Amino acid sequence: MSSSHDKPVDPNQVVLWSDDYEGHDVISTRTFGFWMYILSDGMLFATLFAAYGVLSYSHSYYTGPTPAQFVAPWYTFIQTMALFLSVLAYGFSMASLKTGSKAGVINGIMASMVLGIVFVGLDIHDVLRMISIGVTPEVSGGLSAFYALTQVHAAHIFVGLIWMLVMLYQILRKGFTEDVVGRLISLRMFWQFQAVMWVFIYVFVYLWGYMS
Amino acid sequence: MSHGHSNPIEHPEVQMASRGSYLTGFIIASLLMLAATILVSGQVLAPFPLLLTIMGCAGLAAIAQIYFLLHIDISEHNIWNTVALVMFIPLFVITIGLTWWMFSQLYLRTMPMIPGMPGMH
Repeated sequence: MSSSHDKPVDPNQVVLWSDDYEGHDVISTRTFGFWMYILSDGMLFATLFAAYGVLSYSHSYYTGPTPAQFVAPWYTFIQTMALFLSVLAYGFSMASLKTGSKAGVINGIMASMVLGIVFVGLDIHDVLRMISIGVTPEVSGGLSAFYALTQVHAAHIFVGLIWMLVMLYQILRKGFTEDVVGRLISLRMFWQFQAVMWVFIYVFVYLWGYMS
Repeated sequence: MSHGHSNPIEHPEVQMASRGSYLTGFIIASLLMLAATILVSGQVLAPFPLLLTIMGCAGLAAIAQIYFLLHIDISEHNIWNTVALVMFIPLFVITIGLTWWMFSQLYLRTMPMIPGMPGMH
């Protein structure tokens, strides 16, 4: 046995528990909970990637157009940069939160929103271009899977933009309360995770589709 | 998990934000995506090495973003986020991989070659 057990325990002096309640750590608990949600969202993307994987054989497109005929890699690369810059701007906004700078946080979120709107605008423009040349979801199973995966991601970006608008209002209205700060951290993880998913969509759907 | 801060700004989850780390993640991911785009649009490599290269670019870009942006590391405050992600990755890979494998075997055995239909790949 260890030497600490050699000393007799004085029941009047031993400390068994803390005198005061340290408080429930709301931000850590909520952040971990929201991280669980984000990973579930990742499983949603896994099912859509799996659907695209099994529906991107050449017979999946039958005689219709394949991604090699309608994907424009450099156009989608500009979309990629808009999203990455938006995520960077949100990160800088969160770095301003460290000093409690309201102006820094608001400017960062507004820059992030503008770049996010650029991403969604480019996506809508791309979809309209594809529809105009007859590339629509009902043409083939392959195109249905392509649209489902890419547009579910675009819908996440749209929801993120709405959330940013709500957070701008809450920062102005309530300031940096525990609730507002917790939500800003959840939104940071949500926004950054969309960039991680976009890496896979860009490389495995757009680039791989273009080269095959 | 308890920190006992009354001011939410002082919470470690807020204080771990870092401009340098976010900028590093952005630069690494952007350069890798640029490299993948140049390689694919230029068609300088044979298809299979090209596929392996862009897969590598995607993997490294995702790791850079997860480490530098999402703060997934083994520090005391973040360890459970990291554990959850480590548990998540096999589910993600198995969901996509097994589905793809099942259907590729099914197509191999059931798809007849119809005249005029594009071939199996």
